[in-house]
Amino acid sequence: MKRIYAIEELCLNCRLCEVYCKSAHSQSKDIIKANKYEEPAPVSRVTVYGDNFLSAALNCRHCDDPKCVKACITGAMTKDKKTGIVYVNEDKCIGCMTCLAVCPYGCIKEGKKAVKCDLCRNDDEPACVKNCPNHALIYAEPGGEEK
Amino acid sequence: MKYIIIGASAAGLACAEQIRKEDKNGEITVITKEKYLPYSRPSISYFLKGAVKESGIYLRKSSYYEASGIDIVTGTQVRSIDRKAKTVKAGRKTYSYDKLCLCTGSKPFIPPMENVSGKINALTFLDLESAGIIKKTADKKTRAVVIGGGLIGMKAAEGLSKICRSVDVVELSPRILPSILDEKSAKSVKKYIEEKGHIKFHLGQTVTRAGSEGNRITSVTLKDGKELPCDLLILAVGVRPETELAEKAGLEVNRGIVTDPGTMQTSDENIYAAGDCAVSVDMLDGSRRVIALWPNAVNQGIAAGSQMSGGDIRITSSYPVNAIDFYGLRICTCGLINVQDKKYTDKIIRSGSSYKRLIFEGSRLVGYVLINSSANAGIYTSLIETKTDLKTLEGDLSGTPDPFIFGKAERNKRMKGALDL
Repeated sequence: MKRIYAIEELCLNCRLCEVYCKSAHSQSKDIIKANKYEEPAPVSRVTVYGDNFLSAALNCRHCDDPKCVKACITGAMTKDKKTGIVYVNEDKCIGCMTCLAVCPYGCIKEGKKAVKCDLCRNDDEPACVKNCPNHALIYAEPGGEEK
Repeated sequence: MKYIIIGASAAGLACAEQIRKEDKNGEITVITKEKYLPYSRPSISYFLKGAVKESGIYLRKSSYYEASGIDIVTGTQVRSIDRKAKTVKAGRKTYSYDKLCLCTGSKPFIPPMENVSGKINALTFLDLESAGIIKKTADKKTRAVVIGGGLIGMKAAEGLSKICRSVDVVELSPRILPSILDEKSAKSVKKYIEEKGHIKFHLGQTVTRAGSEGNRITSVTLKDGKELPCDLLILAVGVRPETELAEKAGLEVNRGIVTDPGTMQTSDENIYAAGDCAVSVDMLDGSRRVIALWPNAVNQGIAAGSQMSGGDIRITSSYPVNAIDFYGLRICTCGLINVQDKKYTDKIIRSGSSYKRLIFEGSRLVGYVLINSSANAGIYTSLIETKTDLKTLEGDLSGTPDPFIFGKAERNKRMKGALDL
């Protein structure tokens, strides 16, 4: 499957990925409203860690054998058989955050329900990748076996 | 191949699904004494307080089982196992198996109390059925008493506090949530719950007897003589592994069902056990005990299912990890948290309403308690599980852990899947 890869050598720490992620996952889909006014405030699923010297934007790895899915106590977290996307069914999630406690990458955010990257399911390319000004995020399906 | 699984919760369902992954044609039958398809047992308190509807509590859609070729037999109690004939008896039927997995879970432990047994308003809180009865009977006039301030009792109390007039919790230990909290953190959590939920605690106490009218309890008396009015009594002192079937069949049982810790195979090569009924070996201190938590049950179910169908998935690491919330207060715990030995050290970081306690053995992280500070907790969990030598890290653990605590090679693996991009 296509996944998002972060390249720390190219990341500018500008956090535009977070801005566009919030917008893409907001009710209004409007960048200003989503980032400034919307209630409840949308949560960015991608997070830039580090500083101006060295940084990178971390996103769900959509693991082949996801610990969050196995640990989910309600069956809300699933890995789509066709697309491989790991996503939260918000109707079933009770916000216990067991998924967060087992994700080895730190890619699940706290909210009333668990919040995580869904690779912008309905779009060809995730918003964070599309709007990264320095190609520090790429969306690709590498050939050969993944390590 | 014929597979029988007894019990249809976390371990039972995980076992059935893993078998189906590895054996496309085998006959899989899951037998449960409950009248429901597999549901989220931990969600019953959310169901009680109205945050989840009954229709939303099921782990899979009902059409899923037929589509996956997993036969779930509900409302059927298995009476006995005949290991020679390789059959189980349930109701009037006999089912034969090639491989059997016991996922029988726990049963409530009820300490002796005078005048409680058989009363219609004394209930346990372990299944959807009991939650349904409580939901139907409790209302704004109900004065509820919960015996037990552990995970089950506290979740019941939280749910009840939203629908009842008053909730009292009676706990034998001097602190609440003794299995997941240390003394200091338990105090602040208790205060928070008292304020948010108007729950009254009676710590270091037990219920000795109940007063009744007819078959209904009307009051309970505590060890110190205090009497509490009571319209609904919840018995949530604790649970014990449900091992009766295994014992009757002559399998090795030592508190829980004894299995090979890698394969979950019991003392009979065709019988496996997984979940809250089975003994785990805690990878962190080598202790043999039941780790009655969901992720552990699922992992054991997967390993058992794989082994039963000729696969090679094994349990490589067992440790407790738990996340829970009370009135919006998040508590995340993992590993060894109530250790006394001098070889363990700890570090406590407090700020405002957040509390973080990290427990170390030498230069390894072996446990944590996080209250309102659970961001990226899974990174800590992975350090515990992989027994990472913290000296190899580049960053400090006291803040929110992130990929930059790792050196470049590990970071590259985490961010780029170790790809050369």
